[in-house]
Amino acid sequence: MSLRSRVARWATATVAIALVAAGCAPAATETPGGTEPVAGGTVTVGLESEPAGQFNVHVSGADVAASTLRGIFDSLVSQSNDGEFHPWLARSWDISDDGLTYTFELRDDVTFTDGEPFNAEAVKANFDHVVAKDTASQYASSLIGGSAYDSTEVVDEYTVSIHLKRPFAPLLQGLSTTYLGMISPKVIETSKDQLAAGGPDITVGSGPYVLQSYVAGQEMVLVPNPDHTWGPEDADHTGAARPDRLVLRFLPEPSVRAGALTSGEVDIASNLSPNDAINLENDPAYQLQANENPGLPWSLFLNHDHGILTDAKVREALMRGIDIDSAVQTVYQGKYQRAWSILGPTTPNSYDASLEGTWPHDEDLANQLLDEAGWTERDSDGIRMKDGERLSLNWPTATAARDARAILADAFQADLKKVGVDLAREPLEVGAYLQALQGGDYDVIDWSFVRSDGDILRLHLFSGLAPIQNASWVNDPQVDEWVTQASESSDPAERAELYQKVQQWAIDDVAFIPVYVPTTLVAAANHIGGLTHDISGWPRYDQIWTTKQQ
Amino acid sequence: MLLRRLLIRLMGALVVVWGAATLAFAVLKLVPGDPVDVMLGVNSTASEDVRQQIRNDLGLDQPVISQYLGYLGRLVTGDLGTSYRLQKPVATVITEQLGPTITLALASIVIALVLAIVVSVAARGPITRRIAELLELLALSSPGFWTGLLLLTIFSFNLHWFPVTGGQGARALVLPAVTMALPIAGILSQLLRSGFDAAEREPFTTSARARGLGPVRMFTRHHARHGSLPVVTLTAYIMGSLLGGTVIVEQLFGRRGIGRITLDAITNRDLPVVMALVVMAAVVFVVVNLIVDALYPLLDARLRGRSV
Repeated sequence: MSLRSRVARWATATVAIALVAAGCAPAATETPGGTEPVAGGTVTVGLESEPAGQFNVHVSGADVAASTLRGIFDSLVSQSNDGEFHPWLARSWDISDDGLTYTFELRDDVTFTDGEPFNAEAVKANFDHVVAKDTASQYASSLIGGSAYDSTEVVDEYTVSIHLKRPFAPLLQGLSTTYLGMISPKVIETSKDQLAAGGPDITVGSGPYVLQSYVAGQEMVLVPNPDHTWGPEDADHTGAARPDRLVLRFLPEPSVRAGALTSGEVDIASNLSPNDAINLENDPAYQLQANENPGLPWSLFLNHDHGILTDAKVREALMRGIDIDSAVQTVYQGKYQRAWSILGPTTPNSYDASLEGTWPHDEDLANQLLDEAGWTERDSDGIRMKDGERLSLNWPTATAARDARAILADAFQADLKKVGVDLAREPLEVGAYLQALQGGDYDVIDWSFVRSDGDILRLHLFSGLAPIQNASWVNDPQVDEWVTQASESSDPAERAELYQKVQQWAIDDVAFIPVYVPTTLVAAANHIGGLTHDISGWPRYDQIWTTKQQ
Repeated sequence: MLLRRLLIRLMGALVVVWGAATLAFAVLKLVPGDPVDVMLGVNSTASEDVRQQIRNDLGLDQPVISQYLGYLGRLVTGDLGTSYRLQKPVATVITEQLGPTITLALASIVIALVLAIVVSVAARGPITRRIAELLELLALSSPGFWTGLLLLTIFSFNLHWFPVTGGQGARALVLPAVTMALPIAGILSQLLRSGFDAAEREPFTTSARARGLGPVRMFTRHHARHGSLPVVTLTAYIMGSLLGGTVIVEQLFGRRGIGRITLDAITNRDLPVVMALVVMAAVVFVVVNLIVDALYPLLDARLRGRSV
């Protein structure tokens, strides 16, 4: 979840690329990592951020915690990239007909890396920890059902049941995430207050990797868990991690991550800027993956409860008045796709592809809609007026950085000025931004949200959840009913149908304007094999190997 | 007499540190927004109950005045509190990160001094002086972020002379230290040159020369000392420049250190860490100024024997 980093230093990357352009002679093309996986060697990864203070996955809601600690904590079930669920620490599961009881048969051959056995008691200790009041879980507690969660019951040593107060269909998806991963029950019992800070004896799970060291601001070193044989059923490789060492190095600057890759200091660089990604893609010495993130695209939320945008005609005029195609193409150079729906295309069992191409840029229509809405006069700047009021919209943002989004905003501003709308993007200090957000004192606000379940629409459209995450202050009984029904239905087809209705409604109503599909750009040197990503689009480290053995 | 002066100095120093701590506290309390909301991030799903629980855990539900007094009380006993975000004692957080920053700062100062002395001594002729002026201006006015990227691009990405990322021994220290040293070297060199020029015009130069003092001894015995006085005065400025520089350089080169945690602590409204860093900076400034005051009489005979 959470915002993708807003500190993508765009201008910097551009400068660096211009300077780098001439460097690095390409090597001959080869199959990445050869044909056969090998064990041993060190794999070094350049990452944008680190999970400082976020090692308690049951508390943190940060993307970086889920992605960097994935190799340490196993989950009960696994969600493959097509959205299907597969056995992991649970061999099988059964959902009661009323959707209120999920019973899991657990593997009996799993131990945590501190020697603690994995069993039904361990699962209960974990979930009790997630929902305990003093844990103050920021995300995991909502993934396990929030107020729908009742209790976890130990049925026998290797059978455990989760009881719900009302059906909660996204439960399996939640259970598949790192946020509901299994922490050693001994650590939960003895060192609860140290879980967030983390460390080799504290951050203990049952995964293919073991945390060896963490140096804040610098790197995290993981080593294989030699006993591990219980990887997810849908994975090619289910044993211990292959490299002798996995070093995650924290390099906040995107151009530095790319430079570290080309100079051989890291083997994999994640969260690249599109500019760097294109250069690396054109270089046969590197492999590039562009992984679209599921969930909510980066979107402009239009405040339905405040001033000018209460008028649906004006909202539609905004939607048709901005030229998303050319703005996204210019800024992200084809590496990010423009969005047509309020869900990303990789969100499983819910994306409505029929919306693609249905609301193209149309300046004439935008003008016509604004005329119809009564904004017919113009002031000396060419901005439309109605009854003495200027058609001016404010768009607070929590960053002052000249990042890629600021360039997109400039483009939208220019587009809207042509149809007589003044869109003012206002950088605020985070605290002031949050006050504006919580007070509903804005016309437009923006973010994206990674989640591989259509339930993300409930969080963003349900009337009771304004302004977080329902930042558009949508209040529609029909929509409330659809998203609630979808969250309670155990029939995937019915859920998909409901989410498609919601997506179509959202475009008709212009609940918010989806702009682009956030995409994790990852490049690796060709001696790295088995580079894959999870359904969230984040690189996984449980399958990789390196042919560069020192 | 000496003891009394020392005591007055110490009291003054304490007042400065207390003032800095109080100002930092006031500023952090006055800025808009709830610290827990800021800490959780812009669109956190955390419920109001969870937020209240965190406020409770951190003591943020108490009246501001008792938070302030509690903070001062703990500060006096040397307890810097626990980082909100990192969930570790602030003292641990800072000591873990202090070493790399001190190394970086010392390396930068040494490089800056060497560069400044070499340039200012070399630039005694009319043409070399022009070149030096240009170089100084460039070094002074280039933003650290840009300089760092330029150095990285040339020496790491293309020539592979130095590693890109920090924490890998002395070679990894070179580029970040140079990045930080350049603007300081620029200003130092300017000061030294004008100091030497001023010394050149002093009557004692003429008389020393008349006594037959050679140029080398003239420089080491008189001009170097004379010319370095304004540089010493500028130490506090250099300290500030170093502190600011680490924020950018550590971020850019992926080095751990105080600058990086400062940036993190401010953006995440991690009050205990920010406060501790402010107090630490105040202490450093006070100590540096005390040392500078003590150094003046050694460099300038005219100040000896006067009570400051």
